Parts: sequence; C-alpha cells; structure tokens
Amino acid sequence: MSESSPHLVVRGVSKRYGPTNVLDHIDLTIRRGELVTLLGPSGCGKTTLLRAIAGLAQPDAGKVELAGRDITNVPPHKRNVGVVFQSYALFPHLTVAGNVAFGLKVRGMAKREIDTAVERALSLVQLGHLASRRISALSGGQQQRVALARAIAVEPDVLLFDEALSALDRKLREEMQVELRRLLQEVKATAIFVTHDQDEALTMSDRVAVMNKGRIEQLAEPRELYLRPASLFALNFVGLSTRIAGTVLAADRGKVDVQTKIGRLSALGNFQAGSPVIVAARPEQLRISERGEANSAAGRVRSVVFQGSRTLVEVDAGAGESLLAELSGRDGTIPRVHDEIRLSWPVTETFAFPMEAQA
Amino acid sequence: MTEAALPAPMAAPPVDRERLAAIGFVLPSFLIIAGVFALPLVLLLGVSIVDASGLTLAHYKRLLGTPYYLWVIWNSLRLGLLTTLIAFVISYPAAFALARARGPLRSLLLATLFLPLAASVIVKAFAWTILLRSDGIVNETLIALGVIEDPIRMIFTESALIVGAVNIFLPFMILPIYAIVAQLDPRYAEAAATLGASPVGTFFRVILPLTLPGIIAGVALVFSLSVSAYVVPTLLIGERYPTLATTIAKAYLLAREPGFGAAAGVVLLAIAIAVVALSARLSREPK
Repeated sequence: MSESSPHLVVRGVSKRYGPTNVLDHIDLTIRRGELVTLLGPSGCGKTTLLRAIAGLAQPDAGKVELAGRDITNVPPHKRNVGVVFQSYALFPHLTVAGNVAFGLKVRGMAKREIDTAVERALSLVQLGHLASRRISALSGGQQQRVALARAIAVEPDVLLFDEALSALDRKLREEMQVELRRLLQEVKATAIFVTHDQDEALTMSDRVAVMNKGRIEQLAEPRELYLRPASLFALNFVGLSTRIAGTVLAADRGKVDVQTKIGRLSALGNFQAGSPVIVAARPEQLRISERGEANSAAGRVRSVVFQGSRTLVEVDAGAGESLLAELSGRDGTIPRVHDEIRLSWPVTETFAFPMEAQA
Repeated sequence: MTEAALPAPMAAPPVDRERLAAIGFVLPSFLIIAGVFALPLVLLLGVSIVDASGLTLAHYKRLLGTPYYLWVIWNSLRLGLLTTLIAFVISYPAAFALARARGPLRSLLLATLFLPLAASVIVKAFAWTILLRSDGIVNETLIALGVIEDPIRMIFTESALIVGAVNIFLPFMILPIYAIVAQLDPRYAEAAATLGASPVGTFFRVILPLTLPGIIAGVALVFSLSVSAYVVPTLLIGERYPTLATTIAKAYLLAREPGFGAAAGVVLLAIAIAVVALSARLSREPK
C-alpha cells in the first residue's frame, strides 16, 4: 500500500445519546503513517469517534474502514487496533512484561516469539529494565510507557490515544509529546490522538481535526490551522486572537469592509453587505506603528504580560473592544500600562467569520 | 538502624509520641480480643488434652479414629463445601448484576441483601421449615397445581439443609464479590478487547483474576460460617445429619464430656483456620 492511499476511512458516522448528536455525519480519511489529532472541548464527540474506530462504541450510521477492510460491524477484539487509555488500564494482576505480552498471548503466538516481541516493545519505550516489575510499583510516566508498549507490541493497524498524556504533569507531558512523535514515526505507526490540549495537538500531529458539537470544523495541518482558521471556533480553540464584532459595509472579491465600534476595518472573507461578522487577527500580526494602509486602531494599554521571548500587550480600544498584540523585543520599546498607543495589522492577515457561529 | 549512623554525642532521642498514641489506640481492642477470644481458645486447647488421669490425646484419638466421628467431620465438610460452592455459583453473576444496576433498582437489590441480615438465623431457619414441611407452602402449592399427589419429603433432607444454608449465608458471598466488582474499571475489559481478547478470554484472563480477592473473601466467610453452623443443621435436618457443631453441643450439654467437646472444637477451628489461611495465601498479589 502506498504512503498516500487511505488507511483509515470514516464515512458518515453518526451517534446519538438520547437527544444529543454526539457524532454528526463524521467523514475522516487518514493516510498510512499519518499522525492525526482530534482536538476539541469536552463533549465535542472526539472520544466517541475514537471509541467508534476502536469498536468500543457502535455508531448509529456510517462506515469505518481500516486497512482496506470494512470494520463497521467487527467486534473490537478482531479489529487489530491499539488503544492507550487515559487511565492506561494496565492489568494490575500482571507484571510489566505480562501486560505487554497480553495481546500476543491471546493471539496464540509462540512463547519464544512473545519474549522477543515484548523485549523489543519495552526497549522501544526504554523500560526493558522494569520488565518484571508490578504495575503498582511504576510512576505515572512509566505506566504511560507500558501502556504504549502494550499497544505497539501487537503491531496494530492504527494506534488510538484517548487523552493518553493528560494524566502526566506538564513538564513530563511536553517531553513525552516530542518523544512519542519521534517513536511513532520510527515505527511508522498510523495514530489518532484525542486531546483538548492545543499545544499537544500542534506538537504531535501531521494534521489536526478541530471538533465541535459532533462535527469536524476543520481538518488541516497545524500551521494552516493556526494561520487560516476555517471557523470562529477553530480560531478560538487554537491560539490567541483579537476579535471585534461589526457589520459588513461592502464586499469585493474575497475582501470585506466592516464597520465596527472602533472604526472601519478590512478583512478577508465572502459576505453580503449588512452581514454581522466577527473580525479577527492573530496577536503577532499587530504592530505598534503609524502606517495608514493597513487596519489600525488606537487605545490605552490595559496589561503587559512578559512571557520570555515575547510580550503580550492588551489594549483597551474603547467601546468595550480590546486588541491583543504579541510584541517581540525587536519591535522597539515595549509600552507600559496606561500608555496610549496605535496598533496596526495587515488586511491579508485579518479574517472575518459569521457572527452566529460564535462558540 | 538509622540511629547507628547518627553522630554519637547526640542526646537520647525524644519519646516517640506518635508511636505511644498508636499503642494507646490499639490497646483496648487488643485487651478485649486477648481476654475474651484468645484466652478461651487457649483454655479450650488445654481442656482438649487433659482427662482425669492427666495429659492425653485420647479425645483426638476417639474423634479421628472412630468411623462415626469421621462421618461427622465429613458431614461438616460436605455442608461447608456444598454451601460455599452453590453460594459462589449464584453470587458471582449476582454481584455483576448488582454492580451494573443503577438508581432505585440497585437500592432495592442491596436492601434485599442487607435486610435478611437483620433477622436472626433461627427465624430464617424456622421460615424454611414452614416452607418445606409436608403441609408447608411448597408442598401444598405443588399439590394444588396437580404436580404431585402426596407431599414429598423436603424437610429433614440434605437438600433442604443445603438450600437453607445457601439462602442464609448468601449475603456473605455476594457482598465481598460485589465490593470488588463495583470497583472494577470497565476500561480493563475494553483494553483486553482491543488487544485481541475475545469476551471469554477477557473473562478468564482479566475479569476473573481481578475479582479473585472478592471471591476468596466470600469463600472464606461462607465456608467458615457454614462448616461450623449449628442452628441451620439442627432445625433443617436434625439428628440424621450430625455435624461437628452439633457434636460439640451434645458433648457439653448432654454427655458432659468437655474434653471431647473441646477436641471437636479444636478440629473444627483447625478446618476453618486452614481454609482462611489458604484463602489469604491465594489472595496475596503475585510478586
């Protein structure tokens, strides 16, 4: 199978729990070797989608295909998926090696092969020296690695991670993100991560699916997701932004002029005149300058937050609107609280989203 | 050991107040158990190895060397083993059903389990005699339905004994298993399934081992209760099925042979302790 051919295909999958549409006609295609994150707030359906792929939740409608096989009605134990659970779900009555060997034993593999495979999987997560330990004698980070080794050992067609890193503390989590990505690329695994942590999504994945209310709002590479959010929800969920409400005055070939409470702003987008919209820009696009050709607005500095390589400046632009600028030291002097400043930003980096889509 | 490593000139360590407090908390229960439980046991052991002529093993020889008394011991064991086995077979699925039940149903099921514990075992045993006697409810119903013409003998059979014992001791099997099952993370079964284990494989490789502590606790409880039961065999089967417990009572109350009664008591205790010790050994987690 070639690298780019579809490996996991989710087609029109829906799932209802009572009156709620947990999954609303989800379509998702993942290539072999791809690392994809389902990102969204709790209740957006991301875990249910993962469970539908694993066979732990039966969709009401739609199809799931894995490695060219329709697995929609295949029970989980015949799907050849690997799942790393948030709680790890390591078997407490087995040792580390016993846990990793579990999937191989139930497949009836010969003992010698099992031993080799267990050794390999454990050395992959650098836990070979703990093979005979009991699960309760391991730290959280070590348990996480055992869970990963157990899932990898059976060489599944797809690895599914359900908030698998969220139980770790911040520093360990960030280290694991990088290490896990390297490891998964090394074994050429196809993997889906479920998370509500945008940093994790951006770090780990080739593509990110932003989910909201049972739908995928945007499926894109991390960079594109950040630079070209497809919806207000995607904009809000990934990264910071300035957002100002207004009404479209005029529209012209993908550009709109918008009347807001802090003056006229131009933005990218296709709307009819009179439409209520939200105009938005990422904070690093806003600069202190007097240029006239771009969008600009003035105001009084409300707060200055130093974050190392960058400084976040929040400006009260009047009429209840505020601007958020991320300034680096190179942009000249960082303003102080209560300073009156003018910020400007390019029209080509200004987005407009329909008002009613506000999350 | 740490003291040895400390520099020599240090003053004597201050009195460990926490340790003293801990001893203070334990002391009352220790004294009660030592006084009302351990001491009588020692006396029992003492009485079982003396007679008029001094130290002797005659009581044990009589108990373990007479076919009649071996049959008595076997009766006790049968009662204990059959009750425990049947109670387990009923309780294991029941504990899962109980753990899965939600809301009012769960409260109702738990109440039906706990309420009988409030009634005396004598009351429950008598209830069974009312149900099972020849003019009892079961026989009359069967006759009324035309299933049988004459009442069948139910009371004073081993079946009646076992049915009654299972009924009375059932909560002691269900509750410890339920306590474990209710804590069982459903993710374990899901993890096993995604790793390729069939539902049967998941049961034997994951569910059963993880619920084993509850099973062992229930088995130890029900076996030690039923092997030493006195009221239940007395009321439900009587003279036809002498057990160690009824033999002990007879030795003390009728035959006035305290030495022999004590020896029977020691044997009964040894059987119960052996089962409990075996359970404790089995329930210890693997290395």
